Amino acid sequence: MPEHAPFVGVLADFAAELRSAGLAVGSGDVLTYCAAMTPLDPTDLLDLYWAGRTTLVTRREGIGVYDEVFRRFFLGAGDPVRELLKIKAQVTAETQAVLQVPATDDGGEGHPEEAVLGLMASDAETLRHKSFTSCTPGELAALRRIMARIRLTPPRRRTRRTAAARSGRALDLRRMARESLRMQGEPAELFWRRRKVRLRPLILILDVSGSMADYSRNLLQFAYSAKRAAARVEVFCFGTRLTRVTRALDHRRPDDALEDAAKAVFDWEGGTRIGESLDAFVRDWGRRGLCRGGIVVICSDGLDRGDPAVLAAAMERLSRLSYRVVWMNPHKGDDANFRPSTLGMMVAAPHVDLLLSGHDLSSLEELAALLPTMS
Amino acid sequence: MDCPETVGKLTEILRQGGYLADRGLATALFVALSLQRPILLEGEVGVGKTEVAKVLATVFGRKLIRLQCYEGIDASQALYEWDYARQMLHIRALSEHQIADTDAVDKLFGPKFLLERPLLEAVRAGDQAVLLIDEVDRADDEFEAFLLEVLSDFQISIPEIGTIKAATPPLVVLTSNRTRELHDALKRRCLYHWIGFPPAEREVEIVLVRAPGVSEALTRKVVTAVNRLRELDLAKPPGVAETIDWVRTLDFLGETGLSVQVAEDTLGAVVKERDDLDVVRDNLEEITSGA
Repeated sequence: MPEHAPFVGVLADFAAELRSAGLAVGSGDVLTYCAAMTPLDPTDLLDLYWAGRTTLVTRREGIGVYDEVFRRFFLGAGDPVRELLKIKAQVTAETQAVLQVPATDDGGEGHPEEAVLGLMASDAETLRHKSFTSCTPGELAALRRIMARIRLTPPRRRTRRTAAARSGRALDLRRMARESLRMQGEPAELFWRRRKVRLRPLILILDVSGSMADYSRNLLQFAYSAKRAAARVEVFCFGTRLTRVTRALDHRRPDDALEDAAKAVFDWEGGTRIGESLDAFVRDWGRRGLCRGGIVVICSDGLDRGDPAVLAAAMERLSRLSYRVVWMNPHKGDDANFRPSTLGMMVAAPHVDLLLSGHDLSSLEELAALLPTMS
Repeated sequence: MDCPETVGKLTEILRQGGYLADRGLATALFVALSLQRPILLEGEVGVGKTEVAKVLATVFGRKLIRLQCYEGIDASQALYEWDYARQMLHIRALSEHQIADTDAVDKLFGPKFLLERPLLEAVRAGDQAVLLIDEVDRADDEFEAFLLEVLSDFQISIPEIGTIKAATPPLVVLTSNRTRELHDALKRRCLYHWIGFPPAEREVEIVLVRAPGVSEALTRKVVTAVNRLRELDLAKPPGVAETIDWVRTLDFLGETGLSVQVAEDTLGAVVKERDDLDVVRDNLEEITSGA
């Protein structure tokens, strides 16, 4: 349909605009959008809006971005002259051959810092018990590399799914029917199915407020390693408000991932509102089943500026929604007889199943060792 | 019945079926119908996600095939299953001579012993069906992966029989409550629409359509109160379904207004969480004021 071509160009431009605004819009989606507009009226703004929203946006968070770009693209450019220019420019661009040279990827060499993996055993040993706050940047880099090797294995649970097994509770009728067919219809042997086991989800909630900043950067690194090691890990950060950083940590290169995660969090080194943040977690994520049957690890010193009653209520609901709650408090240090002194910690303590320190590498290793036994 | 020609006509057809769709939802459904693509509906609890599929089936005279998802759902519960018990009995009943016959084995894996599950049923029915895959977020990711094949090609391969393909695909409606993020690959194959809470005016209309016979004055009062409830910081804000329930409850009890006492007695119809009840009770005066 050649008479539609300039219009398709506008739609494609719009999609490109969305893409640069951060929405994941593939060419397939643009095709669907154009196809969707065929039975609709392209001059009707409402049709244009809704058809685009239903074909190009795939999650609720994207709707805001879409609205903004739509407004800018179709409504902001309200004057017809600019619209015409846009169409004209598109047509001329199509007639010219464009040579595109793909940008070369420097991925082959890798990041210099990551390439240097030599870590001396003796260094590693002394670093292991050094508190994160007293480490030099070089030492921290070394620690990060060791951390990347810690494998986190959450405990397992039995699922509703079954798999063939040597023994079990239910007969594998499918297999028996097949086998008996081979044996001239004689069910000679019994085959069984048994329920599968699966790793429980792991949810890390990290305090990035001022009092915790030195630890949190390392904990974020730890979260990144954990996310790469275990299958289902969700990571949240909070200071005065809660931010989900799980998606930001989805990078292959740790530095990119940490940078993205840091950008996603607005309130680095600000105040602390543990109660409100945990309440937000329970409300927005916990209730929807994110931590159901999972292990929740909270890293915070418990210095709460908010109302302790809110924290107590949030912790109670969190402990009911999840399978186990672990609290890592760096101020606990190596002190075995540590008693929580901050109000927040005292309020939260009754709902915590395990209290660890998390102030140095060995305590993180302790967590890694304890996790599989928490069933 | 064929696909309507315009969005307006579709809205009108849905209205006759007792469902008031706004422009966004109507456009999304219209595109899904004309492009024959599955549509994924997300939204707050109780805003009528499941209802859309039911009404679509009714107004187009199609068969509603529903697949309720849950953890551990697998191919034998969603696609097809052989009736093994009958097969084994049948094998026992065959004589040695008969079993050597290849036809006997073919029969064993023929339609007689095949149990159809929702997805196979929907593929067979083609455009005579509306397939509702309800609460797909409750199923685990293994199931999602296998749903991909069905949703993109509308075909199912059964090794013993061959591939069954829908000549024209059924209308597929997926719903999700967002208890977990769905996989991108699944979303790519679907159109997406988010259903929010309707504005008060429309909600009154919806209640009057869904619960014919109740007084409009009472409905207005309840909708006002419910909208105030949604402004409160509740763990589970009441949906449209709750509004309808509340109006029906009050109507059944013969109430004409919403006093503090009446509201407190019937609060169970709208607020279904203990923590929320405490919050609501504290603000009951304000919620029912002007009603």
